[in-house]
Amino acid sequence: MPAFTSAEYLAILLSLKVAIVATLVSLPFGFGVAYLMTYRQFRGKLALDVAVNLPLTLPPVVIGYLLLLLLGQNGFIGRYLLQPLGIRLIFTWKAAVIATAVVGFPLMVRSIRLGMESVDERLIQAARTLGAGWFDTILTVIIPLSLRGIAAGSALMFARGLGEFGATIVVAGNIPGVTQTIPLAIYEYASSPDGDRMALALCLVSALISVVVLLLHEYFNRRIAGAD
Amino acid sequence: MNRIASALVIAAACLLPIAATAGEIDLFAAASMKEVVNELSDNYAKKHSGIIFKKNYGASGTLAKQIENGAPADIFISANLEWMEYMKSKKLADDRSIATFAYNSLVFAGRPGVKAAGLSDVVRLDRIAIGSPKSVPAGEYAVEAFRKAGIDKQLEKKLVMTKDVRECLLYADRGEVDGAFVYKTDALQVARSARILFSVPQEYYSRVTYPMALTLVGSKKAEAAGFYRFLESADAKGILARHGFSVK
Repeated sequence: MPAFTSAEYLAILLSLKVAIVATLVSLPFGFGVAYLMTYRQFRGKLALDVAVNLPLTLPPVVIGYLLLLLLGQNGFIGRYLLQPLGIRLIFTWKAAVIATAVVGFPLMVRSIRLGMESVDERLIQAARTLGAGWFDTILTVIIPLSLRGIAAGSALMFARGLGEFGATIVVAGNIPGVTQTIPLAIYEYASSPDGDRMALALCLVSALISVVVLLLHEYFNRRIAGAD
Repeated sequence: MNRIASALVIAAACLLPIAATAGEIDLFAAASMKEVVNELSDNYAKKHSGIIFKKNYGASGTLAKQIENGAPADIFISANLEWMEYMKSKKLADDRSIATFAYNSLVFAGRPGVKAAGLSDVVRLDRIAIGSPKSVPAGEYAVEAFRKAGIDKQLEKKLVMTKDVRECLLYADRGEVDGAFVYKTDALQVARSARILFSVPQEYYSRVTYPMALTLVGSKKAEAAGFYRFLESADAKGILARHGFSVK
């Protein structure tokens, strides 16, 4: 196995960091959207459903490109909101987080929804009739009973985030040590004639992390299933 | 039933690879050569009817690797000597045909509003795009210049690595980076808003040289050899010069 330089170690750490932050940031939003979709009826529900699920079917590079157009120097949000505030997103690790969050969001929402739909409706009604407010109900009934879906959604999104490439390379660029994640490093090595060994070594790291995530996912699933 | 059968036959026929027609030439050329090679091949195709060009532009290292992995290529034009040497060492290029096609030079193109008069000013900028030195010659020349100028450490975390030299320029054009190290020809013919701020002094990097060669497959094709001779002709040199490339 070839020796990794600091750039490769940074890429591995950055991949983990981006995936973790994207998952944590998305969690409240994912929960909120899943709650709306499961328990509320409102106008435009279908539109929201389509919008949330769109990243699942759109090519990631389209998402990256749209984000770039939106958040970039000449983009609507970039020019009128971010620049006056002195925030720079494009080509920073934060842009990678945003790209990863958008791409992984539908996976998270789907899993949480499945979890919520499996909650017995009567338990929620019982909580309400016993005087719990909607917030109380969420906290003491819905969250504990849909924990499995929340954990599964987070794990899925985290795993998806580790592999995010298409959107990330467009908005976060490929800056070794700053925004270069494992897939970007592999891409760079894979297009270089003498990069095969390093590319394969990074593939191995990638596979190892994925296996660990899947095993953890399975372990939590069993524990939660056991607790039920 | 018959109609379904005949439809299936037609569909299957469409899927068959188009029999390699006599006059097909596969060109693999450095991304910076795109416009000039397009013009050269269009000129040639006009005079030689029946010849169809298939062109693949990209980072020279990427192209070399694609050819190594079996991509169909008859002629390879690299933007540095290294990847041609690589092709030679892997016995993919026809040794006898290797010749110098053109020369170029490295410049720094900045987005509007950015000021830099030399390499020492670049360290004050925030984001700079270069081609990934692992496969893009323009990036290799740039890194060579950073080392000679002693600014490689200061620039380390500011470098956005792109997949080829044209993507570098695109980033500067869109204003997403402060500037990009590209070839003079790229900045002159393709840039929309980015402007050349300075030329990198020649003593800082090896001269940008484009070697070309017939691949082993190409050396056995008369059409490829014919186009290769055209690339060596005075007509071709004239077109190269018109696009801003040096020919001597």
